[in-house]
Amino acid sequence: MTNAITIKNLNYSYPEQGELFKNFDFSVQEGEWLAIVGHNGSGKSTLAKLILGLLDFDQGEIQVFDEKLSEETLASIRAQVGMVFQNPDNQFVGATVADDVAFGLENRQVPSKEMPAKIEAALKQVGMEDYAEREPHTLSGGQKQRVALASILALHPRVIILDEATAMLDPEGKQAVMETLKELKARYQDQLTLIMITHDMEEAALADRVAVVSDGQLVFDEKPETLFLKGKQLAELGLAQPFSMELQSALGISQTTYRTKQELATWLSTLKA
Amino acid sequence: MNNLVIGQFVPGSGILYRMDPRTKILMTIVYVFLLVFANSWVTYLWSAIFLVAALLLTKQGLGLYWRGIKPILWLILFTVVLQLLFSGGTPVLFQWGAIKVTEPGLINAIYVIVRFVLIVLMSTILTITTPPTAIASAIESLLKPLKAIKVPVAELALMLSIALRFVPLLMGETDKIMKAQKSRGMSLSTGSLMKRAKAVIPLLVPLFVGALQRALDLANAMEVRGFESAEGRTRYRELSYGRDDTLAFVAIAVFAIGFLALSFIK
Ligand SMILES: Nc1ncnc2c1ncn2[C@@H]1O[C@H](COP(=O)(O)OP(=O)(O)OP(=O)(O)O)[C@@H](O)[C@H]1O
Ligand SMILES: [Mg+2]
Repeated sequence: MTNAITIKNLNYSYPEQGELFKNFDFSVQEGEWLAIVGHNGSGKSTLAKLILGLLDFDQGEIQVFDEKLSEETLASIRAQVGMVFQNPDNQFVGATVADDVAFGLENRQVPSKEMPAKIEAALKQVGMEDYAEREPHTLSGGQKQRVALASILALHPRVIILDEATAMLDPEGKQAVMETLKELKARYQDQLTLIMITHDMEEAALADRVAVVSDGQLVFDEKPETLFLKGKQLAELGLAQPFSMELQSALGISQTTYRTKQELATWLSTLKA
Repeated sequence: MNNLVIGQFVPGSGILYRMDPRTKILMTIVYVFLLVFANSWVTYLWSAIFLVAALLLTKQGLGLYWRGIKPILWLILFTVVLQLLFSGGTPVLFQWGAIKVTEPGLINAIYVIVRFVLIVLMSTILTITTPPTAIASAIESLLKPLKAIKVPVAELALMLSIALRFVPLLMGETDKIMKAQKSRGMSLSTGSLMKRAKAVIPLLVPLFVGALQRALDLANAMEVRGFESAEGRTRYRELSYGRDDTLAFVAIAVFAIGFLALSFIK
């Protein structure tokens, strides 16, 4: 297995602030679906910005596939790593959906003639092909975030980082974005690495692995099934458990196995019988 | 604020929608320029005919244009009253104390209304049929010669299109903040001037902070999608000059020649 992202000995602090990351080591495998969780201000967004070269780190090394992040490799790394931000309005560059997807293609100097097909294909992957000529203010938050995803997909990324991409959405919008992510993962499998920064444990539960960060430190790094059994430790870090686990503990069921909502429902019904 | 028609694009299918935005901008400029020199009722009539033809070619209902005129009615009225009251000459049609209305004053006032309405409608036709992005790229294309003297035309055009994109957003935000401040008892419409000026500050600060945050976020989003400079990008919407455009140029030429000819008939 190759690493999509390798971080070694990373040091970073914002100007005039204490050290945020100190000797931070971390890696993400190719094709992995990773969730990063942590309380407010723990450094998740900063980490994402460092990977994309939006912030310059003080010391250490960030490697994306076989390239070390530097001034020279920046463009090539950004061509492989896409990012969706939290606020749907602040990342919509184009005047219409199609123009927004086109923005990245224009930057990469894709010939005008090839663009319509690429835009259509990208929009299809997120189920937004019927909205190509719509203006952003006529879209819901969830639709805007799916357009943001499409504009990254049009560039054929190998890694997508989502920084709380669903945090500002209503439940339906969240659902639609998560469904889209699941479809993309099923479609691209190991060709696509997903890194999802989130506060929502239900979302984190979909990942293969969950990394818990606190004040620039990696506290836990394991599968969701085992992580969610650590209710107390999570609470100490200011994190909740998924709803199903909270329900289990409220019902006085010992937390020895992680169950999703459905699993819990079936399990409870077998108990009754 | 949201029903302002000027500056708004309304999707449609008329011939004017298919025309190159550059043609439309040039046409509007020529039209407005000539109108400034209109000096007789025949020239105004001629201009009005041209405008009506353009209106019909947009295939939009007239109600849309009425909504375009409505918000500026008071402005028109104000200018008309000024014209009526402060232009001298004879014969006097009506006098009431120091206020008098003269025949030249009345004629001038009517001309002002017509000119105002024609200019507004022509610009409305341009924006209704042309998406903001197309206007931005047309301006970029028209200003290209300025690159020779180191004017950053591509950057300016990109700035313009992003600014246009954020206008509705900022307007919505202003509205939200205003409501929030009002609900806390702030009033922009009562109290002394000083008091009102002070009341604006709690409005401007969050608006400014919000806009700054947006700008930073947008810069990040643009950068990660590979934006390096406005120069050397390809274009999704290529401007293309077609047969409709040639026809339009013929039409505006006929209009201009007719206009000049009519200006000499007095
Ligand atoms: N531009 C900045 N300048 C200075 N300090 C910053 C800046 N951005 C973030 N910080 C600080 O760095 C720390 C980490 O912030 P970061 O945004 O990475 O946290 P986060 O884990 O993404 O939090 P959240 O869950 O709220 O998004 C915080 O203490 C924050 O106050
Ligand atoms: Mg964050």
